[in-house]
Amino acid sequence: MLMQLTLGGLSQGMIYALIALSLTVVYRSTTVVNFGHGDFVMAGAFLSYVLVVLAGVAFLPAAALAMIAMFVLGVMFNRGLIRPIRGGPHIGLALMCIAAGYLLRGIARMVWGREVLPMPPVFDMDPIFVGDLVITGDAVFIIGTVLVLLLLFFGLMALTDLGKMVQAVYQSPRGARLIGLNVDRFNDFSWGVGAALGALGGILVAPVSLLHPDLGASFLIKGFAAMTLGGFGSLGGAVLGGVLLGIAEQYAGAYLDTALIEITAYVVIVAVLFIRPQGLFGRKAVVKV
Amino acid sequence: MDTPEPLLKIRDLHVGYGKKPILRGASYDVVPGECLTLLGANGSGKSTSMNAICGFVRPSAGSVLFDGQETAGLPPHRIFALGIAQVSQARDLFPDLTVEDNLRLGAMRRGGKELAQTLAHIYDRFPRLKERRKQATRTLSGGEQQMVAIGRALMSRPRLLLLDEPSGGLSPQFCEEIARIIDTLKEDGVTMLMVEQNLNLAFRAADRFIVLRDGEVVDGGDVRAMAGDHDAIVRNIYL
Repeated sequence: MLMQLTLGGLSQGMIYALIALSLTVVYRSTTVVNFGHGDFVMAGAFLSYVLVVLAGVAFLPAAALAMIAMFVLGVMFNRGLIRPIRGGPHIGLALMCIAAGYLLRGIARMVWGREVLPMPPVFDMDPIFVGDLVITGDAVFIIGTVLVLLLLFFGLMALTDLGKMVQAVYQSPRGARLIGLNVDRFNDFSWGVGAALGALGGILVAPVSLLHPDLGASFLIKGFAAMTLGGFGSLGGAVLGGVLLGIAEQYAGAYLDTALIEITAYVVIVAVLFIRPQGLFGRKAVVKV
Repeated sequence: MDTPEPLLKIRDLHVGYGKKPILRGASYDVVPGECLTLLGANGSGKSTSMNAICGFVRPSAGSVLFDGQETAGLPPHRIFALGIAQVSQARDLFPDLTVEDNLRLGAMRRGGKELAQTLAHIYDRFPRLKERRKQATRTLSGGEQQMVAIGRALMSRPRLLLLDEPSGGLSPQFCEEIARIIDTLKEDGVTMLMVEQNLNLAFRAADRFIVLRDGEVVDGGDVRAMAGDHDAIVRNIYL
């Protein structure tokens, strides 16, 4: 049972990891916490739904198209709405993100009302049995896709010049300007990547759950919990935090109470902020007095 | 002897932060191959002058001509591409990246074709950086970090190097090392504009000086011609 729960948690945690990572990509580049990110996740899921169910596109090209569309939306959102108010108070940036998120949610509600929509299963393969462990096609697909993507992402960041430049922008925007990087363009790129990665979270979750315009809200909290657990601003921490949160939800639901699944994220946020505010990989904030 | 055509011409430059004016019509030139130092009390506009040249602040009026091209109002990455690199007061390094990554990044947008050659040259100039090339820069001492900052700027093979307080926060021993570094840069013909509070270093390294007061140039001249009369300059700065 423990293995089954761990596998289920890992599969769910990979989605959280993706969402936390996408939030962190935006946060590291622009120090903006995208409070509308859950709705970007929802928009990705609905875009793939429209393409697959209504336009009859196969799942993989539909997923790619949805991610490209969300990348463009992320870039446009930063260029059109965030960049012009960057010099203003942080609360303005937060409100702009919330407003954009609610706008996306409102559009989805206008089209589908509060309907709950089923997406056809994507990996309709027979489950694999390893002893008592049942490995479903969905779990293989989600874990496999996210693992490949994480390897590509972290490989790109660590081994390529582009990745080093992105890290440079993250670590010192002024330093990046001093070496001739167009930081605004990198920030656009980060918002695009953040939106596309978040959308992929929605796209992966679509075939294994029911779609509704409000689904982003809970994913936003899961993303925040994963970020908190891993340490704000840590890319690796966001991934580990997401995986641990997914597994913790499964264990709490099975061994304590199923109602705990829904509140595990909140408990994690409170506990981490109280016990180790910097999370697992975050740096302790040092304030000169 | 003909005066060489200035590489950088600042004319009637006005810069302010909000409604507070900092530079009020400053004008000066930097000629190729020289090291010009900007002197002045705190708030006189020295660093603002640097930031305006690099595009970090937008002048409200006046002109910054670099090799005949107007750069006032251009973004920093466009100005860098023309060949102006700055070693800032805060150094602005990438703390989690290695020394070598920091240096290599300096050549990503300019000087990339000669990257390997320039990197070897930087390691010749700063052997200590070669020893520490795999270390994260946040683990280095202040002096070593300053070497990385200077090396990173040199990686782009700048036509004009701006040094903002290169000895800031460093021990007297390291100040001496910074002076030696500036000497070798001058021998290599690197044109430099420097802001420096340490007057001994400023007078030792610079060919010419100008004094800024309340955002205007109030004095200037050849450092050698003022040898032995540095007190007069100091009086002009602070009194």
